[in-house]
Amino acid sequence: MSFTDADLIARVLSHEDQNAFSELVRRHQSPVRAFLARMTRGDAHLADDLAQETFLKAWQKLYTYRGGARFSTWLFGIAYNEFRMASRRRKELAWGEVDEAMMASEKPAAARDSHLRLDLTEALNLLNSNERAAVVLCCQNGLSHKEAAQVLDCPPGTIKTNILRGKEKLRRRLSLAYKNYESA
Amino acid sequence: MNPPETNDPLDAWLREQDKYIEDNGFTARVVAALPRRRRAWLRPVLLLSAVAIGSVLAVLWLPWGNLPVPDSSALLSLDSQVLMPWVLVLSVMAALVWGTISALEWED
Repeated sequence: MSFTDADLIARVLSHEDQNAFSELVRRHQSPVRAFLARMTRGDAHLADDLAQETFLKAWQKLYTYRGGARFSTWLFGIAYNEFRMASRRRKELAWGEVDEAMMASEKPAAARDSHLRLDLTEALNLLNSNERAAVVLCCQNGLSHKEAAQVLDCPPGTIKTNILRGKEKLRRRLSLAYKNYESA
Repeated sequence: MNPPETNDPLDAWLREQDKYIEDNGFTARVVAALPRRRRAWLRPVLLLSAVAIGSVLAVLWLPWGNLPVPDSSALLSLDSQVLMPWVLVLSVMAALVWGTISALEWED
């Protein structure tokens, strides 16, 4: 018999059941870790640290989860907050936003021999964090604009704009590989 | 999760990149690090208890019977003999109301 997320949450709240919580972690660890890996531009070690903090916060604040949104959406919200706090702490590192000039430049790609080598992961890393978060949540994880707006704490219109801008930038960066993909 | 219905190849490409990440001990590490969960009700109950005790003390100790009647001339002259008892009473009442509201709206 498999329990729903709501069943497991109820068990955690009523009995502090660590087994129920570990089942919740097992179910949701992959999308949360993948989201944070994208947000940290592929720093898997940091992403896992942030993911661990995310689940520890979820454990402590589970009683604030009202059930209005999906549990995964609620978790993404905590994860994004953890990312934002970490990026504030790490401002001195290479986490700064990529400026438009760098995004538009074709030279870095040429220096890597071929446009094809600039894969989607690299292209995503060149988006600013708002665009990257919106694209990853909606286009990769299948959240609706409304759900992504809850996670990122902004209006749905801003999510739509960031997705449009982000995808436009991805298309520009991936133009050659993208054409190959379409013709395949 | 339900991926949005779209014919955009870029969306398909993005979804293809979304690989499952194996647990590899992640869940065990999280569970090993779990602290005792704070009891959600404890802090608001403590705050409400403090408000209740504060209310009883306020009823017993504040100079309810000796409060001077604030007429306009006393207020305009800022007569401390008239104003200070009222400032004291109103401050205590405001603190009690604030404590009650904070306890009732407590989330974390």
